[in-house]
Amino acid sequence: MNRSLAEHAASRVRPDASWQAMMQAAIREVFQLMVGTDIQPADPPADSPSGGVSAMVGMAGAICGVLRLRCSEQTAVSIATKMLGGHEPGALSDTCDAIGEISNMVAGNFKAKIAGLCDACMLSVPTVVVGEDYDVYSLASPERVEVSMTYEDQPLWVGLEISS
Amino acid sequence: MKAIRVLIVDDSAVMRKIIERCLRQAGIELKEVIEAGNGVEGLAAVQQGPMDLILSDINMPAMDGLEFLQGLRGLDNAKGTPVVMITTEGSESRVVEALSAGARGYIRKPFTPDQVKERVSPLLGGGR
Repeated sequence: MNRSLAEHAASRVRPDASWQAMMQAAIREVFQLMVGTDIQPADPPADSPSGGVSAMVGMAGAICGVLRLRCSEQTAVSIATKMLGGHEPGALSDTCDAIGEISNMVAGNFKAKIAGLCDACMLSVPTVVVGEDYDVYSLASPERVEVSMTYEDQPLWVGLEISS
Repeated sequence: MKAIRVLIVDDSAVMRKIIERCLRQAGIELKEVIEAGNGVEGLAAVQQGPMDLILSDINMPAMDGLEFLQGLRGLDNAKGTPVVMITTEGSESRVVEALSAGARGYIRKPFTPDQVKERVSPLLGGGR
């Protein structure tokens, strides 16, 4: 039975203490399978997201929010190179494409791990922003799930902002 | 098994390359690889000539994978061509929707080359 997004929204799923570990697991699986790299939670975690490449995927239905992945351009190029089987991306657009796909898969893999979310939440097509000089302001008062990872000794940050 | 003509439909050029590489790693000989960035381009490619295999994402701009499946029904060139969905959308309802619309298989991203081989190989060379 297909339910509308409005019906799914009426039965919202709320984040709990397990979501951070689930997000870490989702990220690690995506990187193991698609990048061929085992990445670890950062110790200590980064204070705030940083880096010149940011990918965003919208989520709608039982949760309403945005997943953001942020890393340096150098990290993004490394990820794209591994995804392309060792061939460096020819253009910045290819790097952004790769990071967009990674964020898409992290969002999809994460929602598949959360009870009540897989069938009840849809993903947007990813958007990638290049540049560091920006701030993000949420109109609502979001709940957040944030994960700080280390990829080849460089920071990689993933955050899920959920509108209440 | 003869070399095949395959259509890969995904809005990510990087993902299309990954899928092509997985097919080769699965031992599938590729005579020609046609790429499309969305369902509209995919239908146009099939109208140009029949494919031996189609792999398609679901979430794409302009025309998504489910609409693409429905569009294939009206094309003579698509008759008998196996379509496998490769997508982040792994919910049961989406799987049922895709299979009901005519897909012969479903692979959830992220995936391994072995998973691609497992889903695709039986559909080729007499496995249809």
